[in-house]
Amino acid sequence: MPSYWPVWVIGAVLLLAAGFATTFLPRWRARAGAREEAWVMARAAIESARVSRDAAYTPITQAEQLLARAEAIAADRGGRSAATAAARYARPADELWRAAAGA
Amino acid sequence: MRERLPAGWVRWLLLGLAATFVIIFLAAQYQSANVHYGELPERETIAEGSAGELTDATLPSVEQMTAMVAANPVVRLDGAVAVWDAGQVAAVTAGRDVRILVAPPGLTEEQRQQVNDVENATITIIGTRVTGDMYVAVGDRAADWRAQFGRNDVTSALLTLIPAVTDQPDVDGYAYVGAWRAPTKSELDPVAADLRATGAHLGTGATLTSVPRRAAAEAFGTDDALVVALPAQPLDRPAPDYGPALAALFPGRPLVVMYGNWIEYHGPHADEFAEIASAGFYARFGDRLSRFAYPQANVLGVYLGRVADIRTSGLFDKPPPYRPFDPLRVALPALPWLFAACVLGFLALSGRTLLRPALAAPARFGTLRGAGLRDRLAALTALAVEISGLPDARDDEALTRAIGNLVVARESLDDNLPDRVARSLLNDAHRDLDEVARRLPYPGLRPDEYLRGRLA
Repeated sequence: MPSYWPVWVIGAVLLLAAGFATTFLPRWRARAGAREEAWVMARAAIESARVSRDAAYTPITQAEQLLARAEAIAADRGGRSAATAAARYARPADELWRAAAGA
Repeated sequence: MRERLPAGWVRWLLLGLAATFVIIFLAAQYQSANVHYGELPERETIAEGSAGELTDATLPSVEQMTAMVAANPVVRLDGAVAVWDAGQVAAVTAGRDVRILVAPPGLTEEQRQQVNDVENATITIIGTRVTGDMYVAVGDRAADWRAQFGRNDVTSALLTLIPAVTDQPDVDGYAYVGAWRAPTKSELDPVAADLRATGAHLGTGATLTSVPRRAAAEAFGTDDALVVALPAQPLDRPAPDYGPALAALFPGRPLVVMYGNWIEYHGPHADEFAEIASAGFYARFGDRLSRFAYPQANVLGVYLGRVADIRTSGLFDKPPPYRPFDPLRVALPALPWLFAACVLGFLALSGRTLLRPALAAPARFGTLRGAGLRDRLAALTALAVEISGLPDARDDEALTRAIGNLVVARESLDDNLPDRVARSLLNDAHRDLDEVARRLPYPGLRPDEYLRGRLA
């Protein structure tokens, strides 16, 4: 009778691998999606802030600093928290310039 | 979503099946090497003390025995059975103070202790078991056992033990003194007549009272076994050797001849098992047989059981016996492949689960995901293009921001990001466009108005 033990070993390894894959792949994918999403929002915020800056005639130091910080974070790229931080800096800068332009 | 639910169940079902197969496989790894040529009914084991191995012998006290041993070199207590060749033993005891105490067989534990407490005895014999100092002499060949159990002859044991306990060189060459001769016609005829009449001859002095017919039938596979039971033969004159003579008279029939507790087999297949049965039996039980006075019936019963075991154990190069149909054993070779199939099924369904987001991608399969957002995006983009054509609004920074957000929103939809990203960006663009349009003289370009017209 031929030996079938490789069937058992390979089968068990495959089962384990499939179990890990089905558990961790969706999780990893969701995390990657969330990071991508945060970066899209952050880039959009930075872009808006740049447009607002170009439209504002008076320079606002505080807004410049905030945007510079946001751009520095965005230049390094990073995880989700970096993206949200960049967006958090870019939005008030945008608001400041908008207020200045509207005045 | 509803049609995917069974797939999930099937996946877990396959995993459960795979685990079950592994368990069955592991459980089936126990394999026994127990091969029998036939099934025997279970026999009860013989309980200690209930086999009639004790005699009612009474012993003198330890002090009395010590005094007796001090007075005589050889002391035989009442009921003692062991005998020996005085000439050969005298040769090894010559010039030494060797004192021998001979006790009867079948003593209780307490009585055996009493005998062993007689310290001045060089050699102590209980039944036919010979001990001295810390040594025990044990027979290890058929001739030894035949002399010991068939004639109560302990010469061989004494010649082994006395030199050992008196620091003498071992004795070479021992002559068995218990001679055997062919039986005379007057001895043979009554035995043969008994055998013809009843199949058994129970001699005077034999302790066998009836033949264990069932055990004999199990042992030899036939009902016509012949049994001759005789007492242990005296050592001082040649004993009649009935075995060969009777085997010649009754060819083809199993014949068991007992002298005391010595059992001989003559008859069919004697070459195949008689020696191994005898050696196994006396090597295992010799020590007990020598110390106790078992009735011949019990000894014969155990011996026949031993022969039955040998006959059914398949020791002799016979083809393997028929094995009944065992579903597990038949299904076992398929088990790895069933397991592999379950693993593959589980993998396939797992792969489906992993690929699900890709399967649902709108770009490839044209599902309706994000459709409302795309309409809104298209409408806002059209509005932005329309506004940008107006000279008043061309350089408005809000318009620029709106267009930037619309571009990013399109990218996020194409990249399959969650709807809330596109929705948030479109809301921003909406607000910006509204801000631009508010400053324009055309109310139809306000996004709320414009979208109502486009999306209605």
